[in-house]
Amino acid sequence: MRVLLCTNGSPHTVRALQTGSRVAQATAATVDILVVLKDGQEEQAALPAQAVASDLEAIGVPVTLLHRSGRLAEEVVRQARAAPYDLVVIGSRGRRGLVRLILGSVALHVTEHVPASVLVVKGRVGELKKLLVCSAAGPASELTTRFASHLARALGASVTLLHVMSQLPLAEEAVLEDLEASAAALIQRGSREGVHLAQMLALLEAEGVAGRAIVRHGLVLDEILEEGREGDYDLLVTGAHITPGLNAWLVDDLSADILLAADRPVLVVRQLPAKLEPQPAQNQVG
Amino acid sequence: MGEVQRRKPLWRQLANGLSGLALFVISLGLMKEGAGGLAPLLQGHLEIRNVADSLGFGWLMACLVLSGSPVAAAAVALLSSHVLYPAQAFAMITGSRMGASSVVLLVGFIYALRQHERWTALTAGVLSLLLTSSIQAMVLPLGLELIRRGWLSNPSLPVLEGAAIGVNRFLDPVLHFLAALFPNWMLFVGGVGLITLSFHLFDQALPSLPLQKTDFGQIPRLVYRPEVMFLMGLVVTFLTLSVSVSVGLLVPLSTRRYIRRENIIPYILGANISTLVDTLAAAALLGDPRAVSVVVIHMLCAAMISLPLILLAYRPYERLISNSLEWITRSRRNFAVFLGVAFLLPVFLILL
Repeated sequence: MRVLLCTNGSPHTVRALQTGSRVAQATAATVDILVVLKDGQEEQAALPAQAVASDLEAIGVPVTLLHRSGRLAEEVVRQARAAPYDLVVIGSRGRRGLVRLILGSVALHVTEHVPASVLVVKGRVGELKKLLVCSAAGPASELTTRFASHLARALGASVTLLHVMSQLPLAEEAVLEDLEASAAALIQRGSREGVHLAQMLALLEAEGVAGRAIVRHGLVLDEILEEGREGDYDLLVTGAHITPGLNAWLVDDLSADILLAADRPVLVVRQLPAKLEPQPAQNQVG
Repeated sequence: MGEVQRRKPLWRQLANGLSGLALFVISLGLMKEGAGGLAPLLQGHLEIRNVADSLGFGWLMACLVLSGSPVAAAAVALLSSHVLYPAQAFAMITGSRMGASSVVLLVGFIYALRQHERWTALTAGVLSLLLTSSIQAMVLPLGLELIRRGWLSNPSLPVLEGAAIGVNRFLDPVLHFLAALFPNWMLFVGGVGLITLSFHLFDQALPSLPLQKTDFGQIPRLVYRPEVMFLMGLVVTFLTLSVSVSVGLLVPLSTRRYIRRENIIPYILGANISTLVDTLAAAALLGDPRAVSVVVIHMLCAAMISLPLILLAYRPYERLISNSLEWITRSRRNFAVFLGVAFLLPVFLILL
């Protein structure tokens, strides 16, 4: 796995460096550390990056330090597009309300503009031992679960698959049972969501990762955040907002909503690490 | 497998549409002609004399005729005949929207009882009434204040007035003939019956909108932006004239008859604005500028309340509605309280 860690010397990006270095160690990654300083900013701001680089090199992780000057968001996007990274790690200050509206969010900008998956380090940062995977119970969620499974195996973490049923019946003949069912009941009944959750649990089991599935009922964003708090998860994992055509404008960007509202680290999965990508079938020579 | 929908023949849709239009015009004339005879009943026996009475009356009437649109049209007809004053007509239209939502709840309640107390079936009705009441509770005071301040009190609509005169030229002989045969109150009641039938014919005349083939085909599964669903509810209801019909158009999108609550909440908010477009047409056909202004103020107020909610405070509002929905459907006692309020409040308002 190839990882890009990013910092501008501010405390929240330094925390991201530290978390990212733990992920890099666990996944046996090669690491690039991007240090972006503003013109006139003291070189001392690069010291934490140099310390992390030394620590990683000491345990045999290959590290390259990259220095840029300019704005963090723009330089991270430029670097992430220049090389095939599997994961970009960046910190978030966690601005809210009017301040975020005016100043924007560097993490959100990066997430929306880089081709790689992005780990946004914010809020309380723990050991990354409990992962909560937000599942839409469709094919797109398989990618998210695979990435989370890979990460969980490397970190020795457990994975909880969360699906939120926010649907309401619109007609008398609606299939009401599914709207009240638990994950176990959905799996037993073989509903669309149940089939998907069963497949993802089997995937986790095959990877040797401890996993379970839960279903909550209510508004998707609220239930994800509530489960994150109630279960005291260390990392929320969600798929990136990838919708083709006009739907890109019509459909809500839930990954952005989670990223901005969460009080803990969020991983936005856009693609699988290169070594996990399914290999093309070999031509059979008869 | 999706169910195969049989396409209605074009001639039948046209016939339904034209018959509905003719009945709509005749019924308005009947209600206006008969409204004068209703004054002693409304103001004397039922004591519909103030805004609260009118709100409760519109609410109960909509429950009785199982639809809001005929009652809203009756309100503008009563205003046009000087049986109601503008603030009362405004309140009666508000009541008609509340009553229309109560009907959805009532239908769900009956279904839930028949299906061995499947309370999940009630959620659409509860949601509909929650959304309507949350908006109308703000629309009512705002609209009454605007009417009191004389907003749009003297609109000049020569085109509509001309159209009304043209229609009346054909309609007046028929109405005079009927007025000679029946008492006024009977003309009004007949008018309400005919306009209800006309809305039914309009529903039959609607072409099916192939939403499945558009980018909205994933509405049951994906979470759409609230602004998008709000606009969609506004436009589709403008085209179909009825909230229940426009919501019904979403049903075939899902094989399991579901929709995400994130999508239906802004959709109904948008629909609640444009659903009064038929009442606006009724007011215009009556040729009464006061009736037109009351309906326009109602639509404006609904937009003035809903738009900031959607654009600035949607998440908290959505959360409030969703939490209220959960509380109401959590236990029989909670639901009984909600149902009691929904059907006893209009009676209480009349008795005030």
